[in-house]
Amino acid sequence: MVSAIYIIATGLGAGFLIGLLKDDRKGDAFFLAVAALAAMAWISVSWTLALTAGVAEPQQIITAGVQPPFAINLRMGLAEAGLLSVITLTGLVSAFYLRPALMQLGRRAAAVLVILVMALSGLVLTRDVFNLFVFFELIVIATGGLVLLSNDKRAVAAGFKYLVVSQVISVLLLIGIIFTYHAQGSLNIDDIPAQPMAFTGAGLALFLVLIALVVELKPFPANGWALDIYEAAHPGFSALFSAASATTALYAADKLFAVAGPDWLPLATGLGLISFLGSNILALAQRSDRRLLGYSSVGQIGLVLVVLGQRDILGDAYLYVAGGILITHAIAKAGLFWLSGLVTGRDLADWAVLRANPVLVLAFASFVAMLLGLPPFAGFYAKWDLAHTLVAADRLPVLVLVLIGALIEAGYLFRWFGMAMKRKSAVAFPGFALDKVTAVIIAMVAGWGLGYIWGAAGAHPNLMLATPLAFALLFLVLEPLPAWAKNLLAIAGLLGWVALRYPDYDPLQLVFALVMLAGGAVILLASFHVRGRRLGFYPPAMLMYAGLAMLIDAQTSFQFFAAWEILTLGSYFLILRGQDSEPHALSYILFSLGGAFAILAGFALAAMGIQPFALVNLAAIAEAGLAIAPWVFVLLAVGFMTKTAAIGLHIWLPGAHAEAETDVSPMVSGILLKAGLFGLWLLLIYMGRQTLWGVDLTHVLVWIGALSAFLGAVLAIFQEDAKRLLAYSSISQMGYALFGLALMNHLGWLLALMFVINHFVYKSMLFLAVGGVKERTHTKLMYKMGGLITLMPFTFISVLVGIIAMSGVPPLSGFGGRWVFYNAIMASDLRLPMVLIFITGPIGFLYLFRLIHTIFLGQLKDEHRKLREAPFWIVLPQMLFVAFLIAFAVLPGMMLRRVDAYIATITGDQALTWSGRVITSEFGYWNPIAIAAVIGAIFVLVLALLLAINHNATRVKQFNIVFSAERPYKPQTTHFAWNFFAPYRKALGFLESPVVTTFWGALTDSLHASADFARRIYTGNGQTYALQVVAFVVAVYLIAMGGVS
Amino acid sequence: MTFEWIQIAYAALTLFIVINYGLIMTAVVRKIGARVGGRYGIPVWQNYIDLVKNFALRSKISHGVMFYLGPVFRLTGGIGLLLFVPTIYGSVMFQNFSFAGDLILALYFIFFGTLGMALGAGESGHPLAAIGVSRGLAQVTAAELPLALAVFAISLQYQTLNITEIVAAQQGSIFNWTLFTNPVATVAAMFAFVGTMMRSPFDVVIAPQEIPIGPPTEYHSAYLALMQTNRVLFPVAKVVIYMNLFFGGATNWAEFSIKVFSIYMVSVLIGVVHPRFRVEQSIRFFLKWGLPVGVLAILMV
Amino acid sequence: MYLVAMAAGFLLILMGLYGALTHRNILRMIVGFTLADSGVHLVLVAVGYLPGRTAPILDSAVPLDEAAQRIIDPVPQALVLTAIVIGLGITALMLAYAYRLFRTRKSLDIAEFTELKW
Repeated sequence: MVSAIYIIATGLGAGFLIGLLKDDRKGDAFFLAVAALAAMAWISVSWTLALTAGVAEPQQIITAGVQPPFAINLRMGLAEAGLLSVITLTGLVSAFYLRPALMQLGRRAAAVLVILVMALSGLVLTRDVFNLFVFFELIVIATGGLVLLSNDKRAVAAGFKYLVVSQVISVLLLIGIIFTYHAQGSLNIDDIPAQPMAFTGAGLALFLVLIALVVELKPFPANGWALDIYEAAHPGFSALFSAASATTALYAADKLFAVAGPDWLPLATGLGLISFLGSNILALAQRSDRRLLGYSSVGQIGLVLVVLGQRDILGDAYLYVAGGILITHAIAKAGLFWLSGLVTGRDLADWAVLRANPVLVLAFASFVAMLLGLPPFAGFYAKWDLAHTLVAADRLPVLVLVLIGALIEAGYLFRWFGMAMKRKSAVAFPGFALDKVTAVIIAMVAGWGLGYIWGAAGAHPNLMLATPLAFALLFLVLEPLPAWAKNLLAIAGLLGWVALRYPDYDPLQLVFALVMLAGGAVILLASFHVRGRRLGFYPPAMLMYAGLAMLIDAQTSFQFFAAWEILTLGSYFLILRGQDSEPHALSYILFSLGGAFAILAGFALAAMGIQPFALVNLAAIAEAGLAIAPWVFVLLAVGFMTKTAAIGLHIWLPGAHAEAETDVSPMVSGILLKAGLFGLWLLLIYMGRQTLWGVDLTHVLVWIGALSAFLGAVLAIFQEDAKRLLAYSSISQMGYALFGLALMNHLGWLLALMFVINHFVYKSMLFLAVGGVKERTHTKLMYKMGGLITLMPFTFISVLVGIIAMSGVPPLSGFGGRWVFYNAIMASDLRLPMVLIFITGPIGFLYLFRLIHTIFLGQLKDEHRKLREAPFWIVLPQMLFVAFLIAFAVLPGMMLRRVDAYIATITGDQALTWSGRVITSEFGYWNPIAIAAVIGAIFVLVLALLLAINHNATRVKQFNIVFSAERPYKPQTTHFAWNFFAPYRKALGFLESPVVTTFWGALTDSLHASADFARRIYTGNGQTYALQVVAFVVAVYLIAMGGVS
Repeated sequence: MTFEWIQIAYAALTLFIVINYGLIMTAVVRKIGARVGGRYGIPVWQNYIDLVKNFALRSKISHGVMFYLGPVFRLTGGIGLLLFVPTIYGSVMFQNFSFAGDLILALYFIFFGTLGMALGAGESGHPLAAIGVSRGLAQVTAAELPLALAVFAISLQYQTLNITEIVAAQQGSIFNWTLFTNPVATVAAMFAFVGTMMRSPFDVVIAPQEIPIGPPTEYHSAYLALMQTNRVLFPVAKVVIYMNLFFGGATNWAEFSIKVFSIYMVSVLIGVVHPRFRVEQSIRFFLKWGLPVGVLAILMV
Repeated sequence: MYLVAMAAGFLLILMGLYGALTHRNILRMIVGFTLADSGVHLVLVAVGYLPGRTAPILDSAVPLDEAAQRIIDPVPQALVLTAIVIGLGITALMLAYAYRLFRTRKSLDIAEFTELKW
């Protein structure tokens, strides 16, 4: 092994050597710098590899041949090696990235870059507190120099502000160091004994050192200077500044906090939380990309500071958690800054230009996911472990604040991503420089690699090795193939997986697997209608299906949560593909992540630090009657209900489902919503009834379900947009299912399961039908259609069958659902929620009729006279669904009977008797085949009668109607479609008032407004910034130390 | 309850009796109305004349397949509703096809004809037909609510959804009728009854006295004949359900004809003395008056 | 005596910081920081001073075996040298910046350079 001191030696040597070169030998200077950085990186990486493999031992490096504290000593351990790798590699890549700028500025700039990386490395390695100061000042000087690389004129001012604040910090640091030395008699960090935080001379000295290091981390609100650098500096340097400098500074703070003792950790936690929350909130108001990244950097470093504050409880996991977040952040932030160099405009929406290169889009998406700790990246494992540790140590408030901050961060990051995906590119496509693209790709690969390493290193199963996820990621590689080939593979994959797993599923899992995965394959048939390569469709779609497959298989809470986030992420990208879906996709991901965080908190609360936590253990918690049990229930239920779009949490659904592409709508409606039901199902099976403050929580769920069913239906009848109508109807239907589940009896569960199957079938069918119509008419507004029955007969049939099934009219399968429903409510002791459900049924009929009438019946519009039937591939799955619905109506026994028996094993009662064709319950009976036969026979007879008399009826043309002896000729005015249920609106229109939307809107608006107001503390004046730093230090001193003494 | 072929013949007999009964009864009701108003009125066989005339009309047009099928759906709905419910309690002949399903089947099958009719009327392209459908559907959501609650209440009361069992529980004395054992539920159900019989004050849906509106607007000839058949059949079928659930059912045809006529007259009597509601007014009416009674019914069980 | 030095040092720091944080002229700010730096250096040296001892120079006057008892702490003196050098570097860099700033705006008022904010 090459000693780590050669990192510093190489850096210094190269720095001086470049200084000796002639001015015109810029190329050589650059080459030397790169060579030096490469050598430093090689040493760091080889140490990292050796230490992880266990080949090498951590090394103490003694300088000047004297033992510490009489000389400076360095240490190379695993943490140091890992961070050095990040720093030097970032430096190396940034050097290439900065090449044009470096060449322009000459050899000195190259030398300064090497010196910066050297100083950063030294800061990581050193164990001497004064040496720490020296490296800090070197970093300041080097930074001051490199800021000038930017073409942005404003960078000069930014650099000066930075120097001003650095001066203040260095005064604090030096005084702190000298008095620490005075108290301890040593400059060696390891000689500083743990200090109680009380007001003593030594404590004050340590405080000064610590606070100086903290201020170096650019904590909110004393960080205006840093934001200016991020915004104005060359992106190649900003990458270094964010990825390497911030990381290093954090490690320096970590060293001191480690020796300062546990008393000081709450200080780190508190400052970290303020920083994380504050800068994330303020970032909401940002429109400039690099400044936004700056805010995000500050926030993320704050988060790691919070982790640092938990080192007393994290124990051995400390490096894993802190490292996971820190290094992921470094990679993602470096990647994002490098990306920003490819974008010419500085507005967030200017990133739309990235769409010219799909690889860059993938990189952008990966970086955003990394920053937010989404699977399968390293931050995800860290987040999970952090949450569990926090809860186990009774630090729930910290977790809550962290999650709130993370949600806000998700808000602006995904908003940005949405802008990049959907906005028109305002700037001309500049053409991407290959070296810059390479830098971005390196960061992306590193991020994925790190995710793999973290997965392999931790106690959890490695997500990237999970077959479904690996299969989904395979589609990233297959993107160049034509869409039909990918579609074929996707269908084969889904069906193959179900066939493979089939023997191990219990009936419940089987139903969900058939609906989600096999059903997904059927819907994918519709995707054959898309020609070309359809970039960016299959990876997210398969990601969603992978998440669903993993969700069904999940045994432990970790697996479940990982699957949940994967499917959320995949579906988000899928939804975002829709034409006008930018705001809706955003609200979808925010609600989903909010829900996911609730689930995370719930699982953490349930596990109480025990890992891995099998889902069945939820039952043990419920049985033991622990005080936390109802809280676990509430958190998990709320999380799952964000997915089923229970009323109050539903506002994302209509837009997300309505604006999605034709074949995506049925996926996210028919399939995705069931994930929430699956979760609720498991929750209720395992935890049963829970009581909080004397309220039976399942009763609350019944009410929520009933309200969702009712309001969803009411809102659906007022929609003019066909897909929105169907979307609101989904809210209603999921309300029914939730209602059934929460009844907590055998038939209620059976009801919910029938809804799972039926809703999938008819909602997929209807969405495909409406989507097919939209493909032809290019509108979703129903009043612009009309009279399409003869032009699109197959689509009409599927809508007809769909609405008969859905409204519960016999003989189709929807009636079975109603029948089970009545039997279920009779077995329940709840009365009042039924009122809502009763009125919902007929209201459902209203919107369904409107759907079929205004699209297919009435007057045909002139512009639609030449329309053809929807594309074959869109019609085909609909016809399969029609066949299934009819078969399922006549023979509901095929699947239900097995499931019924399965539910009986849980509830322990037998609610239905299956004898021959008749299904009998405690209260009534139902003979599907007899119903179908009787109705069929009567229908045929009456029809025969009519045919016998009226077989020679003349087919008349349009407008041949009794119209006061006039013929209207104008379909626009004759087609009664707009505001179809006007009387209803007059009577019950108040139900339409957007209370929930207003609430969430007011919440986000006020966050934005306060962010916009609060960010004015960053006046831009360097002197104010310095003053803020001083005030910050004094305030922290008064609050922290005052609280102690 | 198993199926035997002879039941088809029995069912046909029920159907025949009920259609004739309905034809005459509705004419009688109109006649009574005319006499009360000081007019002479129609002959009691007027419905037969209309039916024959419509079947015999030679000019017949079609607006399309759904238009053609609309009346078929409508009449199938009426016949089915009648035949899924046992007509005469205790009689083997007039159990009809009630083995296929219970009360829930009957309640949901009401929508079958409504849906088909609405679809057929929709295809005619006549805006007035669509307006009628829109009004009718809007009104029925609120009007059916008290019935749904009342049905829930009495099925809880009798702990069954089987119509025959519900009727059986009301036998023995007039005071065993649901009308007396559960008056609140009965009142709630009667709100729905009056609201869905297409009579004033709730008849703006078809507005029979003015220009034609509602589903029948474009229908004529045999279509209209089928619908007329249904117009006499359907109310009777519906009254049969009310009779079975709330008024002790009928053990023979005489009891049947008296009870059905009496129950039918409730809506007639209310109708002749009340002016017409607009749709939003009737929705508010049912939610303000019908709903509380229904809620009371399910809370009192 | 060393207490006086230390007090003077802190006074200098406060004066320097006060100057740097109140004067809007960039050059005056730099002077303020230099003042504060000097104060810090004075404090550094004062901390290392022990009353009644001699300079940490090992020659005939201070035999090696008695050194530990007779000399003042040499470490702060070493540190202060480093600190002075670094302070010089930073001051130089700030002056260079001041020059560049002046060239862009023909002004040395720190409040003029606030294009980057919020």
